[in-house]
Amino acid sequence: MSDFAFEAREVGYSYDDVRALGAISLRIRRGERIALLGANGSGKSTLLRLLAGLCFPQRGSISFFGEPLTDERLRDDAFFFSFRRRVGLVFQNPDVQLFNPAVYDELAFGPLQLGWPKAQIRRCVEEMLEQMGIAHLRDRAPHRLSGGEKKRVALASVLILQPEVLLLDEPAAGLDPGSQGQIVNLLASWKNSGRTVITATHDMDTLEEIADRCCVFEDGRIAAEASPLDVLHDLPLLERTNLLRPHAHRHAAGMPHPHPHVHRHEPE
Amino acid sequence: MHIPDGYLSPSTCAVLWGTAAPFWYIAGKRVRATLHTLMVPLLSIFAAFSFVVMMFNLPLPGGTTGHAVGVGIATVVLGPWAAMSAISVALVIQALFFGDGGITAIGANCFNMAVAGSLVAWAVYRLACRGAPIGSTRRVLGAGFAGYTAINVSALCAAIEFGIQPMLFRDSLGAPLYAPYPLHVAIPAMLIGHLTFAGLAEFVIAAGIVAWLQRADPQLLCATAPDAPDAAEPTRPDRERPLWPSIRRFWIAIAILTILTPLGILAVGNAWGEWSPQDFSNSTTRREIQAASRNTEAPAHAPRGLERLSKLWTAPLSRYSPAFIRSASFGYLASAMVGVGIIIICGLALNWALGRFRPAEFRRRPPRRTGFVEKTLHTLVRAAQRALFADEMARADGFLQRRDARVNLAGLGALIVAAVGVRRLDALLALLALGMLLALVSRVSIGFLATRVWLAVLGFTGALAAPAVFLTPGTQLAHMPVLHWAVTEQGLRAAAFLILRAATAATFACLLVLCTLWTHLLRALRFFRTPLVAVALIGMTWRYIFLFLRAAEDMFQARQARLVGALEGAARRRLAAASAGVLLNRSIQLSNEVHLAMQARGFRGEIRTLGDDRLRGGEFLYGAGFLAAAAAAVWLGR
Repeated sequence: MSDFAFEAREVGYSYDDVRALGAISLRIRRGERIALLGANGSGKSTLLRLLAGLCFPQRGSISFFGEPLTDERLRDDAFFFSFRRRVGLVFQNPDVQLFNPAVYDELAFGPLQLGWPKAQIRRCVEEMLEQMGIAHLRDRAPHRLSGGEKKRVALASVLILQPEVLLLDEPAAGLDPGSQGQIVNLLASWKNSGRTVITATHDMDTLEEIADRCCVFEDGRIAAEASPLDVLHDLPLLERTNLLRPHAHRHAAGMPHPHPHVHRHEPE
Repeated sequence: MHIPDGYLSPSTCAVLWGTAAPFWYIAGKRVRATLHTLMVPLLSIFAAFSFVVMMFNLPLPGGTTGHAVGVGIATVVLGPWAAMSAISVALVIQALFFGDGGITAIGANCFNMAVAGSLVAWAVYRLACRGAPIGSTRRVLGAGFAGYTAINVSALCAAIEFGIQPMLFRDSLGAPLYAPYPLHVAIPAMLIGHLTFAGLAEFVIAAGIVAWLQRADPQLLCATAPDAPDAAEPTRPDRERPLWPSIRRFWIAIAILTILTPLGILAVGNAWGEWSPQDFSNSTTRREIQAASRNTEAPAHAPRGLERLSKLWTAPLSRYSPAFIRSASFGYLASAMVGVGIIIICGLALNWALGRFRPAEFRRRPPRRTGFVEKTLHTLVRAAQRALFADEMARADGFLQRRDARVNLAGLGALIVAAVGVRRLDALLALLALGMLLALVSRVSIGFLATRVWLAVLGFTGALAAPAVFLTPGTQLAHMPVLHWAVTEQGLRAAAFLILRAATAATFACLLVLCTLWTHLLRALRFFRTPLVAVALIGMTWRYIFLFLRAAEDMFQARQARLVGALEGAARRRLAAASAGVLLNRSIQLSNEVHLAMQARGFRGEIRTLGDDRLRGGEFLYGAGFLAAAAAAVWLGR
């Protein structure tokens, strides 16, 4: 079996006449944690959907552990269920992801579709509810939860399948710092866990914790591939790709610098 | 007074088409010139009014029937040219769709009722009310008299057209080819009825509406009364006052009249000169024809030309009795609704077509009122809340909620079938009581059922059932004071039956939806071998509606937050139209995304739930209980 979870070769994709991806080539190693960086509309979400087999490249090809990922291939039941079992996608908009009448059903949905035994499903759902700290929400309707709760439920509904490959679309965007922290901690805990994690984000603050490698997207192509630290220090790149808000701030003398982030001191 | 095909020779028809044509042309030009006023909406109102009024058949002396036309009031409000157009529209629709009046005779009928009628009405009204104030009694009487004269002149025209046929057109043996009766029979036969009842009806309609308008909306009377001393400057209603309030009252009146149309078939018998060819060979109808025609014997068989021409056109809803509706009164009512609908559509189309050429300064300014955008918002929010509410109710701990979805589906489904099938009132009442009992043990409040289900059923079915109270023949129980309609025992039973049946079925259906989780219901549908496609479709639709509601609510709220002050109606409508498009787009997109998200978690169209697939023994018992109750109701109530 191939050592690469995903191999994308010259992948292009357009929505009607709007080009989302140019010709992207990307290899993602098994167990790697990779961050897809880029401004809004730079093609990150599209790439995630292609990798999740929800839409298919119009140009180029994608393979999953050496097997081609195509529409025809996914029509085969055996491959469909094994692929869905191994790859989980968390959508950016939790409202899209949460369509069941209650949180409990939401978590049970995936395993049910994949035909797990009912007893196992019940046990796993209980464990996952505990693990994500959402047991008290069990019978609530997902669309009536707060933003942070929705995100956690959406994440839990995918994690319950124990996927080897996790695709996350802006998992912490729009959350309060506390909820954001919980999610980032979870992502950080998967370092060296053997799980392949692909995260689309434009949050520079948490980059080092959630990724080993970064791809910077610019207008549907990859502008740079580097380690988080290198990317964070490439100020011209970050500014060009709208990932950095040039600003200046002062630190009082002797104050430690508590948050990892880049900033630039303009000449006074 | 609607001359059918075959009663006039083709040449007579051609002449009358030719006579009516120039009037139509002038009317078209005049109406076009006054389009900036209320004219188009009013025109469709009076066309609809005339259509419906002509369906109210009155019994006339001599065993025939007749009806008012509404030409008097139309002329008094619209003026002769627009009235002519309105009534012509009604007549054409009657001929084309309902076979009332012939296709070849459209020219003749329009000439008699629309052209001659409105011109005479106009002349009488202007002469009688010269210089009278708008609010005077003279205007009321003048309008009534205008209507009375107009309808009689129309009848006279029709009678002359009938009467000259046997003089001019005979076959080689001397038998009449078309209408069989000569002038000295046709004129008295037509006029006796119209000089009395039909004319009186026309008088009352015109005078009554004018009297009402004098108080409610005197402005509408000013356009045709420039010589009245107190006439306000004929304002352009489009620019200076709201259009809708005055028009709305008219439409409400027409809606009420439409609902009452089944009364129009209470009058037994045919209109003079509207017999079908078969009526000449049937002994009963022959006697009727003879009695109505000054005891002149009817020809032994239908005149040949008449028979030939009468087959020319078969209207889709011939004689206001659609073939697919069994009940005559309901068919009549449905025909009236269809007719009014066609007229409204014509009016809207005309308004749209002409509005595009209308100069901007004439476009009417909409009135200020609570916008329908806001109203829509409230409806949406309510609907969304109700959907949530239903879900919560399905999670409550009650008798039906604890049952397996399949038991509910089969059991309540059987009870619905039973409610539709039983033929005895006591069995139906027992079923309704069972429904209430089930609601009680399932924590669905009777108040909720009463307001949400029974009231709605009463509103819908009640309107349909009400005419049955009077129309069903049988033992008479009471009489309506003025109208002398008999209330029959059978009629009351029929109405009560209809309403109870609908209420019982709706109660069971409501319980099924409220007390079963949606996903489980879908699953149960699958269990009963409903095709996967159908279930997936129902599921998608539900989700789609829900998403649509949510997206709409968000969007309208966002828009509200951005609006300062009230918008002009036109801007409001533009906004609403634009947002409806955006909304639809957005919810389709959202729906697609949700489908993708489901796919990403392994969804392949089949809905699976955590519930145990096997039916427990107890559930079997409950299911059997439901089925037994339904079977018992059907058996005992047969």
